[in-house]
Amino acid sequence: MNAPEMKALAKGLGFLSQWIIGLVLFTALPIGLSLYYSFCEYSLLQRPVFIGLDNYVEMVHDAIFWKVLWNTFVYAIVALPLGMIVALGVAILLNVKTRGQTIYRTVIFLPSLVPAVASAMLWLWLFNAKLGLINLGLRGLGIAQPPAWLADVSWAMPALIFMSLWGVGNTVVIYLAGLQDVPRDLYEAAELDGAGAWGQVWHVTLPGISPVIFFNLIMGIIGTLQVFGTPYIMTGGGPARSTYFYTMYLYDNAFSYLRMGYASALAWVQLLIVLFLTALAAWTSKRWVHYQGK
Amino acid sequence: MRINGLGMRLIRTAFVILLLGTAAGVLIFGPRTGKTPPAGLVVVEYWEKWTNKEEAQMRQIVDWFNETVGRDKGIFVRYFSTSSINQKTLIATAAGVPPDVAGLTDANLAQFAALDALEPLDDLAAAHGITAAQYKRVFWDECHYNGKLYGLVSTPYDIALHYSTKLFAENAEAIRAAGLDPMRAPRTIHELDAYAAALDQISSAGGIDVAGYLPLEPGWYSMWTCLWFGGSWWDDPSKRFTLTDPAVVRSFDWIQSYYRRLGKSAISDFRSGTGNFDSPQNPFISGTVAMVQQGTFLASFIHNNRPSMDGQWAAAAFPSESADLRDVTYCTADVLVIPRSAKHKNEAFEFIAFVNRREVIEKLNNLHCKISPLANVSESFLATHQNPQIRVFERLAASPNAHGTPPVPILPQVLDELSNFTQKLALMQVTPAEELPVIQARLQAKYDLFMKRQRERRAATGLEGGLQ
Repeated sequence: MNAPEMKALAKGLGFLSQWIIGLVLFTALPIGLSLYYSFCEYSLLQRPVFIGLDNYVEMVHDAIFWKVLWNTFVYAIVALPLGMIVALGVAILLNVKTRGQTIYRTVIFLPSLVPAVASAMLWLWLFNAKLGLINLGLRGLGIAQPPAWLADVSWAMPALIFMSLWGVGNTVVIYLAGLQDVPRDLYEAAELDGAGAWGQVWHVTLPGISPVIFFNLIMGIIGTLQVFGTPYIMTGGGPARSTYFYTMYLYDNAFSYLRMGYASALAWVQLLIVLFLTALAAWTSKRWVHYQGK
Repeated sequence: MRINGLGMRLIRTAFVILLLGTAAGVLIFGPRTGKTPPAGLVVVEYWEKWTNKEEAQMRQIVDWFNETVGRDKGIFVRYFSTSSINQKTLIATAAGVPPDVAGLTDANLAQFAALDALEPLDDLAAAHGITAAQYKRVFWDECHYNGKLYGLVSTPYDIALHYSTKLFAENAEAIRAAGLDPMRAPRTIHELDAYAAALDQISSAGGIDVAGYLPLEPGWYSMWTCLWFGGSWWDDPSKRFTLTDPAVVRSFDWIQSYYRRLGKSAISDFRSGTGNFDSPQNPFISGTVAMVQQGTFLASFIHNNRPSMDGQWAAAAFPSESADLRDVTYCTADVLVIPRSAKHKNEAFEFIAFVNRREVIEKLNNLHCKISPLANVSESFLATHQNPQIRVFERLAASPNAHGTPPVPILPQVLDELSNFTQKLALMQVTPAEELPVIQARLQAKYDLFMKRQRERRAATGLEGGLQ
């Protein structure tokens, strides 16, 4: 490397240095430390003491850990596919050229701009068993005893899953962008081959946007397995821990019980679960994700 | 759509005006830093959880200090209103930059003290002539962990039965028909149940229109119900949980008895129709619950939300299971502590000691509608207090049957467990007899593990203190 190249490199690194320093100090270092703390008894207030695998062993025997893990999986298994299907369906509808298309798109996207706390407060009232609009509507339909929703151990989880659809606007926008990229000539070819509307969706649209579906799947896995804000505000994990999720338990251990070591271990297990599911999705993607030009 | 040159200029101008307007708005109406301390004074940083009215009231005390003792001794206290104060104090302490004074609650004190996050105050208190004799026993004890003083109370309160004298009068016949006196409050749990049943107004569809009493409305103190049954879920001398104590089991069974009698759906439906605590829709304030277990401060909320209710309620000792068990109450408090590594410990304690002067603490607790932690209370405090029932609360807090928050370093986990348990009781998922042994085993294991780890840590580091 000659002198001008060295100078150019130094200049480039200089411009990158803020990002590199930030990454090392505020991301890489905390990640590394949290791995170390996961093998420690650490309250944040005292120096960490190495205890080997004790936190992980404790986790295996922790009934609440299994409860929150189960709750989180149930939420993810239902909310993720439901959200993806609804978002895709809405995106396909919004992709149809029609009068007022922009307005419909805006209306669908608007809820995802509402802050999570404001949404939660709004839905708290909607789900109110006695005064909520949802039960008002159900009573209007002749259901005399509508669910108590967030106060009912059987309905609190479905209520949160239902509410998660409120924020599909972001996913819809990504699907819409993907739908614009599906070549028109493929639809024309399919039409010539005798494919109807459903056939075109199945054989052209879905394969055409499969990279987008894959992206949303990965983001959905990460998002649903880390669900926190909405249930934390709306139910606090209740009733009877029926909506107590993994990240809420992690948070409580870290900042309420001051068990930062155990919380770090929980975080690493969560990361491993997300990594495993993401890798699984990536592995299966070879069979169903089609990239143009390949 | 194409935007022409004029349009672009308009958009640009509007954008610049918007930016400048926002900046001007922030400058004119935006947040202000606190008062700038005069040069040469030691600045004591004081973090407190209160906002709005309570903050303004505490600021009066801070200003009082700054204008008197502070000026004489060269100290200036700067108040910071801080949400999630326990977490922020925790992080700041861990980072070595804590405030000089933090306003925590008694529920945090043992946990923070056990983790060496607080400065012991025994020597400073002794130097200021502050002794146990000056305080109501329960509040002095609450500030201790492992025999050391870690804080002093700022605003304490205790629990009593609040009852609507208006609803009692309106239902006098039904109360008399149950063999009870509508002119007084129930004195035993048995009587409370009878009064509640007499005051209940159940609709033809089985819904609750007015509830005489509901143990979980609001249910903030449900985990302490055992105190009124003569029990406790913690035995401090042996450092053991006693959740399977028969009195504890009976107390939770009593809570569940209301769900058996009125129906879990009816109660759930009724409660979902009530409003926030600090609102006219608070069920006690709106007159849909006749009796409620609540703290000293409720008087202020009644007055603010429905002044016409002033004079239509009264307070009495919450009934006990046995008539022999009198004036039982649970006492809790906000506490002022000095976090470990605080820069100005002596100056910080000057402020804490100032707050604990009788005239100061009485002013603060009159403003906050709470009781005094001090053993001796002035007649003017009682006479001018905004809670007309203040004498009842003062009597209860001074009673030998007043109980504070036990010094359990894993208290947040205990409270979460018991809160979850009471939810299960309300849902009729479990009974106390079958679930309490499970919780007992789980909490004891957590406590034992916590203490074991602390012992190991101290053995490894050679530190002492904090450990029981």
